[in-house]
Amino acid sequence: MKFWQKIYLFSFLVFVLIFNAASIMVIERSHNKMLGQEINSALSQNMSIHSSVDAIVPILRIYDSIDYEKTVLTNIANEFVNKNDDQRIYLEIMNEKDRTIFSNADFKLPVHREELDKLSDDEIHYILRDVDQRTILFTSNITDINHKRYVFTYMKDVTPLYQDRVDQYRFFVKVDIAACFLYMLIMFFVSRGLTKPIDRLNRTAQVIAQGGFSERVRLKSKDEIGVLARNFNDMASVVEDKINDLERHNQEKQRFINNFTHELKTPLTSIIGYANFLRTTKYNEELFLDGVNVIYSEGKRLESLSSKLMDLILLQEDHFQMEEYDLRAIIAEIEPALKMMTKKKQVAIVTDLEEGRLQLEKDLIKILIFNLVDNALKASVEQQSITLRTYWRDGRYILEVIDQGIGIAEEHRDKIFEPFYMADKARTRNSNGAGLGLSICQSVASMHQAVIEVSSKEDQGTTFRVIFAQVIPKGGMNQ
Amino acid sequence: MTKKILIVEDDIHISKIIKMNLNIVNYATTEVYDGLAALEAVKREKFDLILLDVMIPLLDGFALMEKIQPYRIPVIFLTAKNSVYDKVNGLKLGADDYMVKPFEAIELLARIETVLRRYGKEERVMEFHNIQVDLDKREATIQGKPVELTPKEYDLLVALMKNKNIALSREQFIDKVWGGDYYGETRTVDMHIKSLRKKLQLQDHIKTIYKIGYRLED
Repeated sequence: MKFWQKIYLFSFLVFVLIFNAASIMVIERSHNKMLGQEINSALSQNMSIHSSVDAIVPILRIYDSIDYEKTVLTNIANEFVNKNDDQRIYLEIMNEKDRTIFSNADFKLPVHREELDKLSDDEIHYILRDVDQRTILFTSNITDINHKRYVFTYMKDVTPLYQDRVDQYRFFVKVDIAACFLYMLIMFFVSRGLTKPIDRLNRTAQVIAQGGFSERVRLKSKDEIGVLARNFNDMASVVEDKINDLERHNQEKQRFINNFTHELKTPLTSIIGYANFLRTTKYNEELFLDGVNVIYSEGKRLESLSSKLMDLILLQEDHFQMEEYDLRAIIAEIEPALKMMTKKKQVAIVTDLEEGRLQLEKDLIKILIFNLVDNALKASVEQQSITLRTYWRDGRYILEVIDQGIGIAEEHRDKIFEPFYMADKARTRNSNGAGLGLSICQSVASMHQAVIEVSSKEDQGTTFRVIFAQVIPKGGMNQ
Repeated sequence: MTKKILIVEDDIHISKIIKMNLNIVNYATTEVYDGLAALEAVKREKFDLILLDVMIPLLDGFALMEKIQPYRIPVIFLTAKNSVYDKVNGLKLGADDYMVKPFEAIELLARIETVLRRYGKEERVMEFHNIQVDLDKREATIQGKPVELTPKEYDLLVALMKNKNIALSREQFIDKVWGGDYYGETRTVDMHIKSLRKKLQLQDHIKTIYKIGYRLED
């Protein structure tokens, strides 16, 4: 059963119960009150008859004749009955021997009348009795006349009172049905209105469950459901952000894999192609040397790709021991190796270094510098120079690698840090590049909380600037 | 007449290996390394077919395809990308076939031949020294005299002549002559080679290549 139906049904049941009980109580109470009044008035009538009979008792005593007594009593009774002609009033007078002296009852009186059983002087007994579909109130008392006991029974037809009650109930049933319908109608809208926000939440949850992560609940109420909706929306946006992050991450990975596959397949195509050519065609010295050279150089390219890749994988696992080193000393240490590297192309290395003690991972910093110098070398032509410069500015230590080479075109500048991106494919390939150098540098830099900036002018040279994080004095960098 | 093929491939090594393989079976080749140079070449010379790498500098393969469409030159795409999108996009733009790197030389030759045949550019008569093979008549002649060949021997001779100077393995012969679903012994190839050598006096030209198979040599 739905929640709104529960609200609807239970509130309706409670309404019906309370409304009916209250109405029945009101009707019954007013009926009982009317009945009580009727009884009281009957009793007082009885009393008045009693007292008027008492008034004439002394006269009757003088004559002391039963016949006379009878005549007088009948006269009194007739007078009384005539006076109350319009109302349904009946009077019965019985003597000691239970013989009726007077009666104007138009119905058959019951044989056994229990109200008379223990009737004594100065007492009035009353009883309600159903006679012929009528309800009659009997009130009886005993009057002593000349030592003879006469029973006076005053009766009143109270059927209209009961009829009234039935009418009341009839009317109540009509009101009840109308009230119930009205209540059902109002409660239907109220309960639907109350549960509508829940339905909406529910629908939104379903949409989200089916992958529509940008779906939100639009509820502005301030009650508990409104709060729930707001919390629900907050939750949904956290989930959406997480999923977007995951997707972006996934796409990055996919792009990496695609690029990697491409970089792997290209040298393999050459190697397999040449090897197959050499094994399936007739030996030709020139072609043979050509082919073997290509196989060798493409093999070297694969080797360099795999070692770069190892560097990159190593960088993904971030448990490195940072220690305090002087970057100037590190550069001085690798300078001979750098010079060896650039000597073949007759490119000079110039250094201009300030002392800089930083928290560093020595081997990674060496990889960073090697890669930057390697890039600079690839961009340079003979007789040019590469400058390594370090200095402090605004509390930050900065390492610059400056070349005078061909520069990087504007359109490539924001992509060069992407893995496998090559501004000039042919040139990079010729020097065994894989397009991974700068993304390795980027990883190393971010591990040292450093950023890499690049400024370049085509045909005038490029400057790579590694800006280390502001040094917090003494012990602040220990992680 | 020698067919001219334009190789558009930015990796010099791959370009060169393709060129070497094509030259050895008597195709003439021109190599270019970027999209713009390819466009220039198409405008300048007449080519029978273009081998086109998708990822080339200056003008990528798809953009180039659109520009050279008016020339109605058959195109085979070469690429390392193996995605369905590229395949669909390439063929929609009018590429005739598609090869994913790394590929085998004889497969490339077979595809080139198929595409040329579709364009009606295939030579219907092949010659080797004094032997002539008429592909339409399915007939081989020595100095004009017909030679009795079984259908398999004939197909084997065609495979040898089409891949002249390239060694094919016994498996490759079976694939080309008997079809991919033949599960016979590779010795069948040896038997047919033997009888071809005899019938066409090719003892000196059909060479047995150690560990590989056979090669028809000039």
